[in-house]
Amino acid sequence: MGTAVTLVKDSVPTTRKARSAAPVTKGRRGRRENLAGYLFMSPWIAGFLLLTAGPMVASLYFAFTDYNLFNSPKWVGFDNFTAMFDDPRWRKSVEVTAKYVVIGTPLKLLLALGVALLLAQSRRGQAFYRAAFYAPSLIGASVSIGFVWRSLFSDGAVVDRTQSFLGFHVGGWVGNADWVLYCLVALTVWQFGAPMVIFLAGLKQVPRELYEAAEMDGAGPFRRFWSITLPMISPVLFFNVLLETIHSFQIFGSAYVVSNTYCGPADATLVYTCYLYQKGFKDAQMGFAAAMAWMLLLAVALVTAVLFWSQKKWVHYEEDAR
Amino acid sequence: MGTGTNVERRTVLKAAGVSAVTLGLAATACGGNGGTSADGTVTIRYSWWGAEERAKKINQSIALFEKKYPKIKVKTDFQTYQSFWEKFQTQAAGGNPPDVFQNAVGFLRKYDRRGILLDLNSQVKAGNLSLDHFRAGVTKVGEVDGKQLGVPVGSNTMALVIDKKVFERAGVDPATGWTWDDYFKALKTIHDKTKVPGDTGYFAIMYLYDLYLRQNGKAFFTKDGLGFDKSDLTEWWTDGYGRVKAGIVTDPKIVAQDQPKSSLSAGHGASEFTWDNFTVRYSAEGSSTYGLAPIPTMDGKHTGQYLASLMLSASAHTSHPKEAAQFIDFMVHDPAVGTIMGYDRGILASTEQYAAFKPTDTVSKEIAQYEDTTAKSGVLGTITPHPSGADTVEAAFLRIGGDLGQGKTKVTDAVKQFFTESQAAFQA
Repeated sequence: MGTAVTLVKDSVPTTRKARSAAPVTKGRRGRRENLAGYLFMSPWIAGFLLLTAGPMVASLYFAFTDYNLFNSPKWVGFDNFTAMFDDPRWRKSVEVTAKYVVIGTPLKLLLALGVALLLAQSRRGQAFYRAAFYAPSLIGASVSIGFVWRSLFSDGAVVDRTQSFLGFHVGGWVGNADWVLYCLVALTVWQFGAPMVIFLAGLKQVPRELYEAAEMDGAGPFRRFWSITLPMISPVLFFNVLLETIHSFQIFGSAYVVSNTYCGPADATLVYTCYLYQKGFKDAQMGFAAAMAWMLLLAVALVTAVLFWSQKKWVHYEEDAR
Repeated sequence: MGTGTNVERRTVLKAAGVSAVTLGLAATACGGNGGTSADGTVTIRYSWWGAEERAKKINQSIALFEKKYPKIKVKTDFQTYQSFWEKFQTQAAGGNPPDVFQNAVGFLRKYDRRGILLDLNSQVKAGNLSLDHFRAGVTKVGEVDGKQLGVPVGSNTMALVIDKKVFERAGVDPATGWTWDDYFKALKTIHDKTKVPGDTGYFAIMYLYDLYLRQNGKAFFTKDGLGFDKSDLTEWWTDGYGRVKAGIVTDPKIVAQDQPKSSLSAGHGASEFTWDNFTVRYSAEGSSTYGLAPIPTMDGKHTGQYLASLMLSASAHTSHPKEAAQFIDFMVHDPAVGTIMGYDRGILASTEQYAAFKPTDTVSKEIAQYEDTTAKSGVLGTITPHPSGADTVEAAFLRIGGDLGQGKTKVTDAVKQFFTESQAAFQA
């Protein structure tokens, strides 16, 4: 989604530049071209207004109301927001989601970077490996994989047997409130292919001569990675961290399927969006659910802001060097 | 992307910023027409919950209906119980519920209060639907404040479904009028002798706790709230958790993994309190032989049981109330439909269908026998009202009870949480 939107966004300044560059005498033609441009964009604009902007405005309004879908919404001010903090299940959902983001995202990125480093070297069958590692990212979000995961991590299934064979018996993770979240973490880590491809692109752009120079100065592999690779791909790393963190906050499908729609046991997979869904569509407390959605948006925005702020310290852009 | 060898700052910032903002909610829109075509053919929508097996039977029944009423077409869809009610709630809120749908007692007041259910009395007066020829008392279940909001298709009652083979191996023979003490002793005997936990988690089942409360002169619900207090539930759940720890009730970890199967049919428990007609499902799902046993009592006599039922209701928003009523009438009275459906949705409610279907398989025979004996022994009482929000309360009871069994919540906290959520549900 991110990339698709970026393309559209990127095209806007280009047209604007083209317009201002056109001679004044061609004003009418320019306007007509403009109109045509907007017409071509209209499906996207209509979709954005009707399916994204409209519902978002409505949801902002509902967030301040008591609304059960049937009666008309009743204005309650900030009640929904204060009620959240008194709700133990809401706090639990925040805890579960935070745990998932904090554990899952770094693991996934580490693995993605590690595999990308291996695949960056020219080897035979490289294309095959890249495709193979990328494949889980394509199918990982599907419901059927959720079912596969559910059976893999059940009592007496592969994971349970391997673990027991290695000498520590846990039983199936799916029914165990202490373990089930790691089953979801494993599912997201397994989909490391998407950030891996981005890392690969970044690694390919690091100039060879930097390595050659470093090697001549006697830098070992670790030093080369730390002092050349990492700073050079830090924008890519930043991009991946941002994207994956935001993506992790939105986890829903895997939790919903692996827990057989209950987001349990004992609320152990009650991720934020799952609780939001339960509140809105099961308990019909749409006002509360809308408030939760905005709270999530705020939280994600805050995390994003912190990441942007932190990049001054560790992200190196080409233009900075000039 | 840029001309340099490195990624440009602006591109990254833009992509990241846009991605951060695209987090939003999407809405779906549903539309529909009145369902009348040019040649006067009327189409009505009929939704229900169940599984493939029920779908086959219902489609056969509908074929008969469409043959008798060639001007009425019936469009169906079905989901599992949970998904059905989620979808229904959204459809109903959008003013577009199905014309006819399966219903249960826990939802009558909720959707009556929201103006979704058609009072079928008007259609009875108009002669499109008959409430005659029903087995004694069953139509009462669909009545709320003098309105007929549902017509029963089959009646059922809470029962103890048992794995007969395990009970035999343990040498336990449940007798009519046995007490709770007898029952819990039996669970221990079963666990000692067969290593199978005796029960799959009785303490989180709302309808069973209702029976227990009724035996003690209370009930789970009053007209607008809960019919018991925190100390009652604390005692019930403390005992329940104790029995999980003792191993005589299935570990909730296992129950969670067996879903959507029942732990009884998965072989991880020897008995389960549920509706008697579920024996049909368990027999199809599991590999053992399943039968019915009496509900334990306090005094050796009163089980607190009553007849509940699955019903058909019509939407107050339907453009075709007449056709909807005719369809319900056909589905509940037509003898041929009775033969097709059997006891899948409980013992057939109308006398025409009850007489038409002669069970041949042992499971159906046993269910008929069970309801017959229960009725004759005079233990059946009248059903207590289920207030609006009863469905949410039932789900909360099951969930919080399950959490408790996992040992993740203290009993006092669980009880507090349940009462808080119940209050919210009644008000919603």
